[in-house]
Amino acid sequence: MITSKDSDKSIALVRSAFRQYYFKHSKNIGIPTRMKEREFGYKQFSSGIVRHLSFRNIGELLAILIREAPSDIYCSNGFYRFPTYPMQEKQWGGADLIFDIDAKDLQLPCEQTHSYLLCMNCGVVSEKKIDSCPKCDFSKLNHISVPCNKCVFSLKKEVMKLINLLITDLGIKKNCIEVYFSGNNGFHLHILDNRFDTLDSRARADLVGYLMGIGMMVESIGVRKRSEGFLIKFPKSGLSYGWRKRIANKLGIDQLSIVKLNNIVQQKGGYDGFREELSRLTREGGVRIDPHVTTDIHRVFRMPGTLNSKSGLTKMRCDDLELFDPFINACLLGENEVNVEAKAHVNLKLKGQSFKIKKQTQRLPLYVAVYLICKGIAELS
Amino acid sequence: MKHVIDRAAERIETEITKGSVYERLDKYEIEILTFLVTLIIAKSIGIESILKKYSLFEAMRTEKYLTEDLRRERNNERKRLLLFKIFEDLFKMNVDLDSKDSNLFKVKVTDYLTRAPNFHEEEWKLINRLVHNGYVYLDADETVRLIRSELTSLIYSRVKTMTLSNLPDSIKAKVDDLRIKLQPHYEYRRYQPTHYPPCIKKALDVMNRGENLPHSARLMLATYMLAIGKSVEDIIILFHNAPDYNENITKYQVEHLAGNRGSHTKYSVPSCEKLRNENLCFATEECDGITNPIQFMSKLFKK
Repeated sequence: MITSKDSDKSIALVRSAFRQYYFKHSKNIGIPTRMKEREFGYKQFSSGIVRHLSFRNIGELLAILIREAPSDIYCSNGFYRFPTYPMQEKQWGGADLIFDIDAKDLQLPCEQTHSYLLCMNCGVVSEKKIDSCPKCDFSKLNHISVPCNKCVFSLKKEVMKLINLLITDLGIKKNCIEVYFSGNNGFHLHILDNRFDTLDSRARADLVGYLMGIGMMVESIGVRKRSEGFLIKFPKSGLSYGWRKRIANKLGIDQLSIVKLNNIVQQKGGYDGFREELSRLTREGGVRIDPHVTTDIHRVFRMPGTLNSKSGLTKMRCDDLELFDPFINACLLGENEVNVEAKAHVNLKLKGQSFKIKKQTQRLPLYVAVYLICKGIAELS
Repeated sequence: MKHVIDRAAERIETEITKGSVYERLDKYEIEILTFLVTLIIAKSIGIESILKKYSLFEAMRTEKYLTEDLRRERNNERKRLLLFKIFEDLFKMNVDLDSKDSNLFKVKVTDYLTRAPNFHEEEWKLINRLVHNGYVYLDADETVRLIRSELTSLIYSRVKTMTLSNLPDSIKAKVDDLRIKLQPHYEYRRYQPTHYPPCIKKALDVMNRGENLPHSARLMLATYMLAIGKSVEDIIILFHNAPDYNENITKYQVEHLAGNRGSHTKYSVPSCEKLRNENLCFATEECDGITNPIQFMSKLFKK
């Protein structure tokens, strides 16, 4: 991550690489539907976010991107009558349904093999777990992850799980689901189905609970509490679809398996024990999405085709998720070499080439240098 | 006609005093007339809270008989026609029968999500429903329950927009009689500004001086006024003095808070705790024990 502690030289290098990208790859930028009704915002290097902007066309936006070369560019999922007004006066007209799947929410076992801690005071990077900075004793340390192929594989699996639920349960057409690599360590899904546009935050929270597998009652699967234990009575509407079907399949029951379900509940310790088991099963079958992103109907969300300042990679559309390799397909910065000083040992693979970065000054292609500077692991020397 | 007027008065009295649905059912000609007379009486009594309660219980009565009709009707085409006339025509909600089981009704998942999250019971969470291919499958009473709040608003708004010329003496006498009976229950609801809680008085003071009131205070003021039964129009007038007053924006926002727009969710008055955190609380001794400004007046009048 780029912080105000980074040298002006490093920031200038990244900024110039970003400007070059917007100059060369403007066609990558995804033009949002109803563009005039969207709120735009951008972050500048080492300063805050500018919001409540509006652009009439992509040309106006590109002019800003090339002139300012911002660190990050956002566009609202919502559309408004007055997108530039303060939030309460914008007059919300609806918002696209969006999802964010981030590796940090997946708790992957590989994470600790490629994690670093960055001191927010002096910029020292530690490869070991520490509570405070070994150099200045500052305790505010930021976690940095240099994702690996295993992370990408697990993320893709989670995306597929979400797509499957959206199609089979919610009836969303496959061609209405756009998948993007987030530009760092996750994936974004944009749903182009206007039936969902007017759902408010509460409705989206209900949807999120459904997709994450939170809040299923044991009564939905046919287990009812009685003063002495429990009773099996299957719901009239059956177990043939959705979560009920998934859980019934996992338990190996159907609407006739009263005795079998009775035994399973007994085995799990009765009503309360089975409730815990059901909660575990639904969480396991649910998708780990960031609930805040989906329930926020006024969010400014990273724009497709723009660069992510946490890595220098592009938020890139994945037309074929299985074949998509973010370290190749989203790595689009220049290749001229620059001298950088790395603050830690890092192994990484970008544009199909492996790099074993040593803790010293070395000459590296621009896309690697920007990646390391954006992560906070290197400085321009 | 006397029979109809008596039934109408009895129906309103049951709904308001007992807080329950009036369950007697007569021939449909009598029912239609009775309903029309209840509308006239509810309007003429002229007490906002009575009208709201009447609208809710009339909606619940409709819900009860509609559920029974849907359960009893064996002819699927007639059942579909009933669904179409009520749900699609009135509330733009498409409901169809399940192809395998005609006792199950399917509603679009988005129609479900715009209504059910307002119910607090766990069983209404989407995860506890049968969901497939964009539809939620419900039985008759669950399907009808989805539209209770819209039915209530429909009845309420129809009464609100009615204009009555001279009432026949027979109805007028019933109205006077009912008003005398029911008014004591609602006397305290006819609020005077002097009865407002201190947070609301303070916000009104600032507004009357033409000074700028923060958004959170405006939200508190509008939700409070809606909760005590003020109309959207009356509330808009309150905001006239705001330095940045814009009638269209104010109208949009108050209608949104009143649940007349978007998801049709009516916003509640923020709790005392929330107001304290936002520095909008100016509690006095009279506030002791309340957790929401809306409880202030009932506490005052219980003394």
